[in-house]
Amino acid sequence: MSALSLPKRCSALARPRALLLAALAAAAAIVPLFLDPQGYWVRVLTLTLIFAALGQAWNIVGGLANQISLGHAAYFGVGAYASTILLINFGLSPWIGLFVGMALAVVVALVLSVPTFRLKGHYFALATLAAGEALRVIANSWQGVTGGPVGLSVPFMPDSFWMMSYGAPRPFYWIALAALVLVTLVFWWIKSSALGYRLRAVKENEQAAEVVGVNTFRAKLWASLVSAAATAAIGVVYVQFTYFFDPDAVFGVATVSVRLALVAIVGGIGTVIGPVVGALVVVPLEELVNAALQGQVAGLSAFVYGAILIAVILVEPRGLVALFGRLRRGLGRRPGGAGEAGR
Amino acid sequence: MQLLQALVDGLLIGGVYGVVSIGLSLVFGVMNIVNFAHAAFLMLGMFVAWFAWAFLGLDPLLGAFLSFVLVFAFGCAVQQVLVRPILAAPQVAQIFLTVGLLIVLENAALMAFGADFRSVQTPYQTSAFRLGGIIVSKPYLYAFAMALLSGAAVWAFLERTAVGRAMRATAQDPMAATLMGIDTQRMHRLAFGVGVGLTAFGGAVILPYLTVSPTVGSHYVVLMFTAVVLGGLGSVAGAVVGGIAVGVIQSVSALVFPIQLQNLVLFVVFILVLALRPDGIVRRRGA
Repeated sequence: MSALSLPKRCSALARPRALLLAALAAAAAIVPLFLDPQGYWVRVLTLTLIFAALGQAWNIVGGLANQISLGHAAYFGVGAYASTILLINFGLSPWIGLFVGMALAVVVALVLSVPTFRLKGHYFALATLAAGEALRVIANSWQGVTGGPVGLSVPFMPDSFWMMSYGAPRPFYWIALAALVLVTLVFWWIKSSALGYRLRAVKENEQAAEVVGVNTFRAKLWASLVSAAATAAIGVVYVQFTYFFDPDAVFGVATVSVRLALVAIVGGIGTVIGPVVGALVVVPLEELVNAALQGQVAGLSAFVYGAILIAVILVEPRGLVALFGRLRRGLGRRPGGAGEAGR
Repeated sequence: MQLLQALVDGLLIGGVYGVVSIGLSLVFGVMNIVNFAHAAFLMLGMFVAWFAWAFLGLDPLLGAFLSFVLVFAFGCAVQQVLVRPILAAPQVAQIFLTVGLLIVLENAALMAFGADFRSVQTPYQTSAFRLGGIIVSKPYLYAFAMALLSGAAVWAFLERTAVGRAMRATAQDPMAATLMGIDTQRMHRLAFGVGVGLTAFGGAVILPYLTVSPTVGSHYVVLMFTAVVLGGLGSVAGAVVGGIAVGVIQSVSALVFPIQLQNLVLFVVFILVLALRPDGIVRRRGA
């Protein structure tokens, strides 16, 4: 990589892209005003935003540092359980529970960093997979606290911002949008900060990065702590939105860990816009398949998302954003564009 | 006595774990790919054996051969169409291709066969040999024997035949193997087919004491990975030793911990093994 030319490219591109993203966020904010507040589409779009935000959080370690985690459900579930348990037992606001969940997720990430950070590629993926599964087993068996396999329900409450409780999905849409904007800003800030360059060095060649004096352990640790905290926070929003969850729903490999990585990969791993594009494709498609068949064919929606994942990897492993860029260049219009700049 | 019983059960179950994990090790050894979908092929093998039992009246111990043949052919096709294009791709693409394959196979099975748990009836299902105070369950013992036989057959194939030698050469140095006139692509296809076929075989022989459903593989994913990592990823004999170790850890820990935490012990062992000897594991390449 031409590391020297990068800062120039970023600063030259930062301003128009910041404006573009701000405009996108503003446009997204007014979308639900035109939709039925109780309706199906607000619900689907809220899920889309939640998964976009999750994909973006994953992107911090998975995209920038190429640490392919298959265990982000660990942080997601810790956030979900921490806030819901505090809410049920002490009536604590999920907003406070959210910070408790983030703190716990940071602790989990710290503990996991010790055995996993020396591992690379497949080995890191395997170890994180096992870590997520371990937490699922704990949630299933620690019945006194987690309710075990039966799961937990978020207590019903009147509409209230302070208790993050609404009967209609629309307010959750805005909360999820805010979460996505926040995580995206964090991602962007990290990407263009010194930490981002260290992470990129780790990604390109970890040993070379060490040799030139990058503390790779510390760089990876910071990225994974931020990523873990963000994932836990979004986990809280998710369960407040869905009201009910069990260990498989928040600690599952296919339901959470793979899906949020999938969103980033389908869109474009390591790019700012990738997880948003990925979530916009994957989540509504899955919902449409479910709705079209009214859930009659069990497994079809998951089958479809597995097939999309395979297709994207075979056609363009850098994701849809890169594919659009390639197609546009193929058509001979404006060479290079947002699609390429994300690289 | 209780401990001895647990050791015997662990050994018998673990032997099968070892054999179903060989393919994972073989595929990694030959093409440097970790096949996250490996356990789904176990599920396919179980289904083949179940249908062979239900419609042909074939005992799963014999149906296992059919499982091997069919899943072997399917595995060769999967390697050719899906895995070959990403052999040179970044690891993230490799990981998620096989993860995608896992999701696709599991849910295809769910669509085709439904979520029911299916089991077979065999005359020896509930019987056992008694040796002193130790009970040796017949289905465990038969599955163990069949698994070890198939494992030995693969070992003989790799060590004693020309094709096996070519496959090991491909694992050691694909470039040199090509220069010696070995069709490495064919070796990859064969390795993948044999690897997943063997897992299907193992899945079939455990059917008499288990039930099959589309998600049965998920119980085996971490278990298989623990087995191969314990034994050294890429080593065939190591996978068997690792599998037996996993079986023994599982059944002995069941004496101490409640049954739900059985797998937790395994996960912890797995992460610790990965953490404590990653270098030793990474360096051991070649089947």
